[in-house]
Amino acid sequence: MKHLSQAEFVDLVESRSPLPAARARHAEECERCRTEAESLRTMRLVASSDAIPEPSPLFWDHFSARVAEQVRHEPRPAAPATGWRMNPFATWAAAGTIAAMLITTALSRATLHAPAPHMANETAVAMPVSDVGPVDDLDNDQAWAVVRAAAADVAWEDVTAAGLTAHPADVENAALQLNAAERVELVRLLNADLKRNGA
Amino acid sequence: MEPRRWQVTVSRDRTDSARPDAASLPDGADDRTLVEACRSGRREAFDVIVERHQRQVYQLCYRFAGNHEDASDLAQDVFIRAYRGLHSFKGQSAFSTWLYRIAVNVCLNRVGARSQRWASLDAAEQADTREERADARILRGERAAEVRAAIARLPKKQRAALILRVYHDLPHDQIAAIVGSSVGAVKANFFHALANLKKLLNTK
Repeated sequence: MKHLSQAEFVDLVESRSPLPAARARHAEECERCRTEAESLRTMRLVASSDAIPEPSPLFWDHFSARVAEQVRHEPRPAAPATGWRMNPFATWAAAGTIAAMLITTALSRATLHAPAPHMANETAVAMPVSDVGPVDDLDNDQAWAVVRAAAADVAWEDVTAAGLTAHPADVENAALQLNAAERVELVRLLNADLKRNGA
Repeated sequence: MEPRRWQVTVSRDRTDSARPDAASLPDGADDRTLVEACRSGRREAFDVIVERHQRQVYQLCYRFAGNHEDASDLAQDVFIRAYRGLHSFKGQSAFSTWLYRIAVNVCLNRVGARSQRWASLDAAEQADTREERADARILRGERAAEVRAAIARLPKKQRAALILRVYHDLPHDQIAAIVGSSVGAVKANFFHALANLKKLLNTK
């Protein structure tokens, strides 16, 4: 028969959970297991016989006062972290997703409301816009790739739970806050997109 | 002239309810209630928690540190860390289990690197007292020092399992929750701790 396992030895030595009858019989009959169990029992006894000195009764008062004093200088412990505080990465990812959604929506809505730019105005603002660095190819744009990667694993439930959902007015506000140069760039991007899609 | 009135206050034993700040806490409030009180800004509730658990935490720290000064510092650190981490206590386990977990982590992180130094110190002390072996008391003390030095040499998980089981009488499942492993692993660690203890004591 197999010798006792480590867990069985522990159960045997501690006499807390009795071994099954067959295993208990083996423990009695097997010289090797009996010796091992006796050795473990002795070591447990040796260890447990070591008592540590009890500190002075005054120590406890001093100790608790010392801890209390230190705690006084600590900020108040917060309630259990829930929602967005539990996962900051998800929060940033969700924020990135929302930002992307707002921009996309603003782009699509701006074509409906923005006045068509005159050529003269377009020329006038052409320089600053070029400094911004227009995005011609979203698929290969690095910044956009970062946003995409960050938002890839974000569930919409998390976004909603984090209170980062967009409202109808958000899109209007975003579109209205674009300056002239941004509107020009927006129109340019939309036109390019329309041409690419054959509209 | 109106005679002066003296107000006599009879001091009471130092108990939870005897603290003026803790007077409004429910009598015999359980740990979770006290934790909630702490979270709502009542620091005095933490004083009650400290008084309730300081002995166990100190004794655990002493087992790891081996001396009063370090044990006292470690225990203080444990409570400060617990206070700072109260927001993370979700109540899925008993508060004492959570507190033990912090204590074991603090002790293993802070004491592990120093255990070898203690062992050598203990060995030196044994050499100094070797001439006095006739005295039974010294013999006992020497044996205790040997045992402590041997325990200090055990691998971390074995040491934690042995201390929590033998000196704190915690059941294996609670130890498993404290050290973050299975009951089987705790039993295996306890088994190896006793076996290694025998080897270490026999080689002295």
